[in-house]
Amino acid sequence: MLHRLEKLLLDLAVVAVLGLGLLITAQVAMRTFLNSAVPDAIVMVGELMVAAIVLPLAAVTANRAHIAVEVVSNRLPQRAQDALLVFGTLFGLLALAPLIYSGWREAHEALVEGGYFFGDLNLPRWPGRVIFLFGVTLCWIRLALMLVRDVGRMRRGESIPAAEPVHRVEEV
Amino acid sequence: QSLFVGEAGPNRGARAEALQWFADQAEELTDGDLSLDIQWGGALFKANAAVSGIRDGIADMGTIIAVYFPQEMVAYNIADLPLQNPDAWVGMKATDELMRNSDAIAQNLADQNLVYLGTFTTSAVHVGCKGATIRSVDDISGLKVRGVGAYGDTFREFGANMVPMSIYDAYQALDTGLIDCSQGYSYATAALKQQEVIDSYTLMNWGQVGALGIFANKDVFDGLEPEVQEALLTAGEGMADELGRLITADNEAAIETMREAGVEIIELPDEERQKLVETSTQFIDEWKDRAGQAGLDADALLEEYRGLIDKYTQIRDEEGYPWEDGQG
Amino acid sequence: MDPALIGYAAFASVILLLALRVPIAFVLAGVATIGTFLIFALRTGTFMPERALTPTTSLVFSNSFDLIHSYDLSMIPLFVALGHIAYRAEITTKIYHAARVWLAPVPGGVAMASVVGCGGFSAITGSSIACASTMGRICSPEMLRMGYDSRLATASVAAGGTLGSLIPPSVLFIIYGIFTETSISSLFLAGILPGLLSLLGFVLVIFAWVSRDPSAAPKYAGTITRSEKIEAAIAAWPAALLFVIIVGGIYGGVFTATEAAAVCVTATVAIGFAQRKLTFRGLWNAVRETCMQTTAIFLIAAAAKIFVAFTALTGVAQDVVGAVQAAELSPFLLLAAIAVIYLVLGMFLDPIGIMVLTLPLMVPLIETYGFDLIWFGVVVIKLLEIGLITPPVGLNVFVIAGVVGREVPIDRIFSGILRFLSVDVIVLILIMAFPILSLLIPGSM
Ligand code: NA
Ligand code: NA
Repeated sequence: MLHRLEKLLLDLAVVAVLGLGLLITAQVAMRTFLNSAVPDAIVMVGELMVAAIVLPLAAVTANRAHIAVEVVSNRLPQRAQDALLVFGTLFGLLALAPLIYSGWREAHEALVEGGYFFGDLNLPRWPGRVIFLFGVTLCWIRLALMLVRDVGRMRRGESIPAAEPVHRVEEV
Repeated sequence: QSLFVGEAGPNRGARAEALQWFADQAEELTDGDLSLDIQWGGALFKANAAVSGIRDGIADMGTIIAVYFPQEMVAYNIADLPLQNPDAWVGMKATDELMRNSDAIAQNLADQNLVYLGTFTTSAVHVGCKGATIRSVDDISGLKVRGVGAYGDTFREFGANMVPMSIYDAYQALDTGLIDCSQGYSYATAALKQQEVIDSYTLMNWGQVGALGIFANKDVFDGLEPEVQEALLTAGEGMADELGRLITADNEAAIETMREAGVEIIELPDEERQKLVETSTQFIDEWKDRAGQAGLDADALLEEYRGLIDKYTQIRDEEGYPWEDGQG
Repeated sequence: MDPALIGYAAFASVILLLALRVPIAFVLAGVATIGTFLIFALRTGTFMPERALTPTTSLVFSNSFDLIHSYDLSMIPLFVALGHIAYRAEITTKIYHAARVWLAPVPGGVAMASVVGCGGFSAITGSSIACASTMGRICSPEMLRMGYDSRLATASVAAGGTLGSLIPPSVLFIIYGIFTETSISSLFLAGILPGLLSLLGFVLVIFAWVSRDPSAAPKYAGTITRSEKIEAAIAAWPAALLFVIIVGGIYGGVFTATEAAAVCVTATVAIGFAQRKLTFRGLWNAVRETCMQTTAIFLIAAAAKIFVAFTALTGVAQDVVGAVQAAELSPFLLLAAIAVIYLVLGMFLDPIGIMVLTLPLMVPLIETYGFDLIWFGVVVIKLLEIGLITPPVGLNVFVIAGVVGREVPIDRIFSGILRFLSVDVIVLILIMAFPILSLLIPGSM
């Protein structure tokens, strides 16, 4: 279930990146050939950026693809390495919690008060903020799930499987 | 007691000098009880996050540029309207008096946990061009222009293609010809080194983006000793005179810098300016709608503001600027 | 508790947590959040956590969200996508084949070509990270495929990427110019010679590396005929076309560097489909890889931005610069102290963050010593560029690590970086000792 949701969000991020490319290209083309502009392009690019960057967070987390310094931990025995991995996940839960809390506050405020970006179209502020909240929350849930599983493995005396990507780009 | 001040701009130029003056003045008025720790360059929050940054107390006070906040700062936005208000000092005095004395505005700000302290201005909006020259409004048509608020919108009405971009990108965009012109304020144009890339600079004397000022977090402000509050408000009120002097001098120096760099300085003729003024009235109406939605009496505010502009214009004409020797 | 003390404790905690293998983004965001919370909670002298909640969460949100919600930074996912799509459309392979065939007599020629390519790309984008993301995607996997030592294949591009801000145009120079009221065009000109000197240094590192260890850069097996060479060059035409589009478009005033990224993505997709080398599925998967990669990088960048705001609250920068000022050092020792400050900050923070935190304090100090601000700008930018490849937080290295995936662990990239760093230090000393290197070109214009 979570796995399929992550995949869906990753594909939505793909749509956002392609959208960025098309939108900005259209902007250049309209300026060069028609001496006009795409209305509110800057705001729309910002919103698409949030989708492109935040939606894949859970998938990246599931793949254990967050960049870490391994020079010290590599010298430790397997068991200690696993413990550090669990600790890292736990610390991630702690680090992301304030983002979820503040993201919720911001999304809520934008929805209730109907904030908008001043511009040609007065586009609403809520989509980017809701996407941000959604992406970070899903990442947090994925981290929590990994924590539970990894702790379970350690208790059973198993080792935590090294980065076996959960999401492979090639499979559709 | 040390308070944080958040400022999105660099620690150089007229605006920085005025903010520093405000901080020094407030410290002096409290005999050093208060110290203001200014964080430059948006280290705490960027210009477009200033309202929430101050409201939530990331900084205890800071600079807000109202164009980024059409809803939150709707009352203050009045100082950004093209109201034939090109004099920096007159604009600041009028804006400051309006903001300081209107209960409706104070309430509107208090609802957002903000207190008004004092006003800067960016000064009058002019336009610098490369490979194009604006001598009349007819010259605007077909040009690619980076614009500022309602001044940009009015240019669009005259057939300009408004190209959105950050002020930092404008230098290179002018250089490569990506844009023909960039609207701006004289001292900022020089600070951004645009004289290195433009070849003409048209003084429009049409209006300014004046809604740029210092606000405090209301919770923090209310928790201060009355003497400290008074010191901050007094320092804020003094900014108009201080910055008026600085900015007028800096703007003159900037135009001289441009002239030395070989930039042609053009004054837009009165009848041409009149055309800009007429076309821009629709954006004043647009503001009235927004202010009305926020529960403010837009017509009354506008009338009061225009009256204040007349009042200070008269003072200037009769007594000269307060910093000019032998007068006033 | 003194905020500066919280600041120093935070820097120490970052090192400790990174050593414990906690992901970098989590470390920076987590430590900065806790530190910010403590500063706000302890402001009145007594611990009042209820007063810290709102400002802390607001700071965390606005700094991370605003970094992501950015028009200018859209350049990065788009340039990364360009690399991935060009790879799947076989455009990058063709350039590399051409480079290999033509540079066969030069040991390590392909790595050198990559570094020179970085220099060329930096003359276009003005951003080191964009430079490393694009060139990293294009160069490193191809070099790995040719059997290059993985340290050489990755570190050369991470180092080459740092040319992005020294060779004009450059966002960092523009920000420096605004903060110091110095001429941006003079700064741009001043960066040229030091940039080329750095480039030369990197090429020499590769030369020395491959001379001592020829297996690090396997030679092209077999003989190459003249017609093979010409064929290889012709096959590389899509890359040449892209290059012409980028350079012509930016210098011809058709689009900005940010827009160039989007236009090139569109052009690459068009070329790929026209040549029937790119399928829709290939395109989709290329962008999926892009998303996974840029997300990891942006999460670190957003966390670093939170850390910058936290550092501003601590007053650590004032503390350190104040101490240097009070010490009334000789000019020589002052420069040494400044270099150390920037290198240490560069271990943790991003270049723009460091400039915003330090320049308001540093520039008045520099002026009292009567140093030239244009020259000092070049020194600062070079120091910041070095910070992009120093451990533990080296954004350029992370970008490359993201590109090559788990194939080459990050520590291995850093170990390759060490050789480039040693040359960087020599170049830095030359720039500091001979201001003429920076001032010659702007002075003669
Ligand atoms: Na560059
Ligand atoms: Na570093």
